[in-house]
Amino acid sequence: MTLVVNGREVAAAGTVLDTLLATGTAVPHLCKDDNLAAIGACRTCLVEADGRIVAACATPAANVRAVETETETVRRLRRTVLQLTLAMQTDATPADQGGPFAGLLAETAAGAGALDRRFDPVSGDSIDLSNPFFSFHEAACILCGRCVSACQSLQHISAIGFAGRGRQTVVTPGAGDTFRQSVCTSCGSCVAACPTTALRPKDGGVP
Amino acid sequence: MASVELPPRFQLLSRLHEAHANSGLLSRDAVTEIARALQMPLAEAWEAATSYPAFRAQPGAAETPCGGLSCALNGASPSRDPMAGCRFRCFDAPVDGHELPFPEDRICLAGPLLADDITDWKGLVTVKRQGPDAALSVIQSAGLRGRGGAYFPVARKWRAAIAEHRPIALVVNAEEGEPGVFKDRALLQRRPRRFIEGLAIAASVLRPAVIVAFVNGEAAPMREALTAALRAARALLPIEPLVVSGGGGYVLGEETTLLNALEGRKPAPRLRPPFPVESGLFGMPTVVNNVETLAQLSVVFRGGADSFRALGTEDAPGSKLFSISGRVRQPGLYEMPLGTPLRDLVDCAGGPIGGEVAAVLAGGPSGGFLPESELDRRLLPGLMHPTGAVAGSGGMVVLDSSSDLRAAAVAMAAFNADESCGKCTPCREGLPRLLSALQGAHSGIGTDELLEVIGLASLCGLGHMAPGPIRSARHFWPELFR
Repeated sequence: MTLVVNGREVAAAGTVLDTLLATGTAVPHLCKDDNLAAIGACRTCLVEADGRIVAACATPAANVRAVETETETVRRLRRTVLQLTLAMQTDATPADQGGPFAGLLAETAAGAGALDRRFDPVSGDSIDLSNPFFSFHEAACILCGRCVSACQSLQHISAIGFAGRGRQTVVTPGAGDTFRQSVCTSCGSCVAACPTTALRPKDGGVP
Repeated sequence: MASVELPPRFQLLSRLHEAHANSGLLSRDAVTEIARALQMPLAEAWEAATSYPAFRAQPGAAETPCGGLSCALNGASPSRDPMAGCRFRCFDAPVDGHELPFPEDRICLAGPLLADDITDWKGLVTVKRQGPDAALSVIQSAGLRGRGGAYFPVARKWRAAIAEHRPIALVVNAEEGEPGVFKDRALLQRRPRRFIEGLAIAASVLRPAVIVAFVNGEAAPMREALTAALRAARALLPIEPLVVSGGGGYVLGEETTLLNALEGRKPAPRLRPPFPVESGLFGMPTVVNNVETLAQLSVVFRGGADSFRALGTEDAPGSKLFSISGRVRQPGLYEMPLGTPLRDLVDCAGGPIGGEVAAVLAGGPSGGFLPESELDRRLLPGLMHPTGAVAGSGGMVVLDSSSDLRAAAVAMAAFNADESCGKCTPCREGLPRLLSALQGAHSGIGTDELLEVIGLASLCGLGHMAPGPIRSARHFWPELFR
């Protein structure tokens, strides 16, 4: 099975994103974690597949003939999505102290030329320091779902979930509890999965 | 025969609904107790409990208003606030209070589907005599498409589920959560036997292991009508259907969201593939059909495929139910052939109340506005106009000379921002920013980029269609958005 990527034919397997990454075409992506099934929530890995705009992580390569990753439209869409994503963060913690600019999001946004703040940042500001090993900072969270997916689908603990809907959505342990009150086992999978350091180790280092 | 046993978390939504109905709110303790009883993680039960607009966490919190246009256009305040509690009586606008039984005199134009209710099961008898394969061929030659808004060919959907060679789930979508649409509640209350026969036909062809009817939890008369219809259908069905009441939310019109809701998960869309016909309810091949789609099966089999094709177009045969409301002289339910020009529908409903038709919002919050000069466009599957107007599930809201078009467009943007489930970034972050750009002084800044990114980059169809009302209004009336 093959896929034509930017005019070059490559061996295809899995999703379009899997194929692109395995054959050396970089595409910015955030909510796709190597260890987790596709979530498809952040909408960063946008490409043109046979003329349609799709998220590469959620599109089986077998359903596509040709992919363009650098058309003007997909570059513009990826930039706007990343600017919307960055505007979810109001956490001003410096990068060297584990703030959001130490995370994958900052690298991804820089790579896509999206670091300029086009939208005024808005976010919640709850902080959960109750776990002995890590803390949660809502002001750095982009609701990508990697932590929730790691907790629910990888570890099968389901200590955390998304409470609320729309813009009120927030990652929360249990029923609006703290990590300490919840069934969290401190396994650290959520911290390792977080692309923004919204979940960060307590010594302040970068996971 | 009993239906297949579903996992305990299938009961979550019903239990939450029950607890909410009993005490008027969903407390943390109540959700904890339910999660424990169903042996599911608390965090997952909490995800569901906090994701439905009808469920309140605080005593005395306001009810969620429907957010539709008809009341505002007919003299109520244009904000979302005043119509709290009212549901789906857009044909009586402005109204308040709870839903009332659908009045017979609001069936303004009847075709084959809405003509007097049937008294026997001739269509079902025909299907049973023919057998499933022949029946599928009849549905295919009739060209029946889904009436929920996506117009997917019914025979193709059913065949895909059957081709899985595994036990099938049949899900009846009676959610009808779009303001301005009241066709399914009318059918269930006024022509229930059409629905019963259609459901029995579907069950006879698909031989489902489970039948689930999902009904709008905020609409008591509709739920009662559905329950009564299913009781009456019991003798015609191979298994007992299960009924689940929802907690509101426009996003439930997206079928994978509906399936997540039924599985006791957060009501948010799934990625496709897999499609529901491959892996739907708890992984079963699943057919989700709208109430009207099922009722149309009765028409198909009582009259035959050729007779069904006598109305509509080659590609989109049959009649369709249109709910028309807003500033029109005779708001109500109209059954007209697919392909009818929108102008004929508006004329049939008596035309505008005041002056002239200023615009029609075709397809509700997922549709778009059309000016008077575009009313000759035909009501067909797909886009009626590239800026957003669709036939959709048949909701048409008329604006006349007295109507504030900009306010109406902004109200639809507000509706979509409120109804975003929150899963994907373009819809969750883009719609509120689009709304504030429209409400603020700098209405131009970023609006084009936001409309583009929401429409192209969102995860589900509702996100893709959410820009329609604003895109179309800006296209036809640019002066209102300067």
